[in-house]
Amino acid sequence: MTEKMKLKICGMKYQDNMEQVATLQPDYLGFIFYEKSTRHFNSESILELPKSIKKTGVFVDADIDFVLEKINKHQLQAVQLHGKESPEYCNNLKKRHAELVSISHPIEIIKVFSIKDEFDFSILKPYEQVSDYFLFDTKGKLPGGNGYTFDWNVLNNYPSTKPFFLSGGLGLNEVEKINQFVNSKASRYCYALDVNSKFEIEPGLKNIEDLKTFKKNLSTILDNNKEIVMNYNVDEKGYYGEFGGAFIPEMLYPNVEELRQNYLKVMAEPDFQKQFDKLLKDYVGRPSPLYYAKRLSKKYNTKIYLKREDLNHTGAHKINNTIGQILMAQRLGKTRIIAETGAGQHGVATATVCALMGLECIVYMGEIDIARQAPNVARMKMLGAKVVPALSGSRTLKDATNEAIRDWINNPVKTHYIIGSAIGPHPYPDMVTRFQAVISEEIKWQLKEHEGRENPDYVVACIGGGSNAAGTYYHYLHENDVKIIAVEAAGLGVDSGESAATSVLGKEGIIHGCKTLLMQTKDGQITEPYSISAGLDYPGVGPMHAHLAKTGRAEFMAITDDDAMNAGLELCKLEGIIPAIESSHALAIFEQKTFKPNDVVVMSLSGRGDKDLQNYIDYFKI
Amino acid sequence: MNRIVSKLNEDKKLLSIYFTAGYPEINDTVSIIQDLEKNGVDMIEIGLPFSDPLADGPTIQDSSTAALKNGMTTEVLFKQLESIRDTVSIPLIIMGYFNPMFQYGVEAFCKKCQELGIDGLIIPDLPVDVYHNEYQAIFEKYGLINVFLITPQTSDARIRYIDSISNGFIYMVSSASTTGAKSGFGDEQTAYFERIGKMNLNNPQVIGFGISNNETFTQATKYAKGAIIGSAFVKHVTKHGVKTIDSFTKSILN
Repeated sequence: MTEKMKLKICGMKYQDNMEQVATLQPDYLGFIFYEKSTRHFNSESILELPKSIKKTGVFVDADIDFVLEKINKHQLQAVQLHGKESPEYCNNLKKRHAELVSISHPIEIIKVFSIKDEFDFSILKPYEQVSDYFLFDTKGKLPGGNGYTFDWNVLNNYPSTKPFFLSGGLGLNEVEKINQFVNSKASRYCYALDVNSKFEIEPGLKNIEDLKTFKKNLSTILDNNKEIVMNYNVDEKGYYGEFGGAFIPEMLYPNVEELRQNYLKVMAEPDFQKQFDKLLKDYVGRPSPLYYAKRLSKKYNTKIYLKREDLNHTGAHKINNTIGQILMAQRLGKTRIIAETGAGQHGVATATVCALMGLECIVYMGEIDIARQAPNVARMKMLGAKVVPALSGSRTLKDATNEAIRDWINNPVKTHYIIGSAIGPHPYPDMVTRFQAVISEEIKWQLKEHEGRENPDYVVACIGGGSNAAGTYYHYLHENDVKIIAVEAAGLGVDSGESAATSVLGKEGIIHGCKTLLMQTKDGQITEPYSISAGLDYPGVGPMHAHLAKTGRAEFMAITDDDAMNAGLELCKLEGIIPAIESSHALAIFEQKTFKPNDVVVMSLSGRGDKDLQNYIDYFKI
Repeated sequence: MNRIVSKLNEDKKLLSIYFTAGYPEINDTVSIIQDLEKNGVDMIEIGLPFSDPLADGPTIQDSSTAALKNGMTTEVLFKQLESIRDTVSIPLIIMGYFNPMFQYGVEAFCKKCQELGIDGLIIPDLPVDVYHNEYQAIFEKYGLINVFLITPQTSDARIRYIDSISNGFIYMVSSASTTGAKSGFGDEQTAYFERIGKMNLNNPQVIGFGISNNETFTQATKYAKGAIIGSAFVKHVTKHGVKTIDSFTKSILN
């Protein structure tokens, strides 16, 4: 279940009764705008309620104009759609609400689905992006308010991460059942309980004493279950636990705020979705295969699947994010794109999408990296990008990022900054994660085809800033049976002074606009990391990963240059795949950790090794 | 009364100078402060150097890197400032990025500032809402004024919000840019200065970024209570050393 389960009391009708109910401080109060209902709300106004209570209008296949009129008239913050409203309807409602009522306070859309004993969850999919919550109610004669529960075990198979309301027949007699539910997997994404008819003296008139008792019982249940209350996604303020936020100079505020206000809205647009999916399919070549690595599995006596992000166009997972962000930039009317790059993979992925869309592209790259990554510099230039050397500080990725941020400060109006990792000020970590989440979305159905189940025992990915890891974990974050392993670069050894193992060596601090774990002196100066892999050579880690480390949700492992290089070469020989050195770090864990023969381990093979050929040649004297 | 507030109450246009502590030499801090006061400067921003100064142009980046190389740290700076109030009476502000303060401990940092006689802080990457929600009470407990930046892109509503949180002055960034000299102010800037002037804010404004000489200083103070010079001063000490501060201030004020 999500943080603290909320309470919604529905079917309010009488002003005096409403006033009493409001003293119980429910999170939502529902008003039914459906003439055929015995609880039809037809008063001229709703009395003033405390701000913490969200006024929710319940509608059944109503005209959008009618809904908007009610929202406006009664200052509703949420609408609950009980009829056969289509995804387009939801989307139009959101859009028109933004245009006509308020752009800063989007209306919450709660889409209702009725469940009997079985339910085809695939019908939720088109509503994922156009609604804020789902509500599951008992299927009966009437659209809601039938007064009995459905079999909540159905929710064990809930495939989504969208928070939902549980409704239908909840009363005092159900308290024990709710207790069991809260303790079960079925409640994992349960956001709120919705009560109505079981607390009535007559339709629309609530029994205050019974509601009081129920609320008290519910608090007791929730207090006893605190340990399972954990959210690994970003919260509404932009934090993952204590990490994240937007620590930016005022000069960047308008840009970052514009993005924050729009990114979810834009990503929810069906047109955007369609274009993103199409480009991923036709241009990037997705879905990327989930490959059962037979010989590797045999050697380590476990079942290893490789998610082949290395087969994407441009050779790594990076392009998933740049495609998403270039579409975002276009929607926001930006014409000039900037990016930072370390090894050049993100720079190439950005230059590629800029060429695709015909936009100006400037890539900042540390002077030292420019010298050691010549082929990628050439690629970017061929793709039409301007590569600008970062000459300050240590002249590597960290400084390239500083320069890109400075560019954005100096060009605030028409420029979009495509950050390449799950770092930066909110909303970047979340936005990048959402674009990369296609990785775990695919793993789910692909693994089902291979193994008959969506959840592996382990998901594994290497971490620099952490974008491929974020995408690989995303749909598994709240699946407690899936263990998460994050692999950092130990460089010459964690204690050698030449390392990038941030979870071990880092302390909480602020880097590039977010609060996270970072490597720094005790005086708070950011230090230089080291790894043979340019992609892992970053002194911080994305805030989501800092939270995963801090809470123990993910196990962090550190792999040295030597172990990574050997694991990379081993994959070449056993499977005929030359991995990027970043990915080789993940592969090296099999020498360090023993898995059971029946364990299913899914590992993100984040990139291909072409760019690292010279490194492999030098290292192995090939 | 906080020295910044008393200074703002004086009937004159204020010249404020920024310098990077520990630059050009580690022990120049105290003498720079004393010389600036002696030469008619009204307020000083002591720059606590940071490894990754996002909002700064090349001049202050380089001076920060050099200062860190010279061994400047928060501890060292505090040590240097121990007796500063024996000789200096103008307002002193520490300007720096948030991470070093965060590592020192925000409350410990503020307490130390009060002990030393520091009057305020400018922290470009501590956003106003985070300050408001988490740190304002601590700053106020130790009598420190926190100064916020606004830019030509800052909306009127946000300026009003910043004004409501501020209790000293508002740092008006002259144009959308990092620190460092530009070639004077154009129509766009003067329109922005006028627009802010007409808002009748509670806090006076001091203009910074792009002030480098008498002309830009005069232009800026036509619209604001004062102006801040940073990069141009750092450049001056790089070129002419710390013994010629008088010639710099003269070139601005005359």
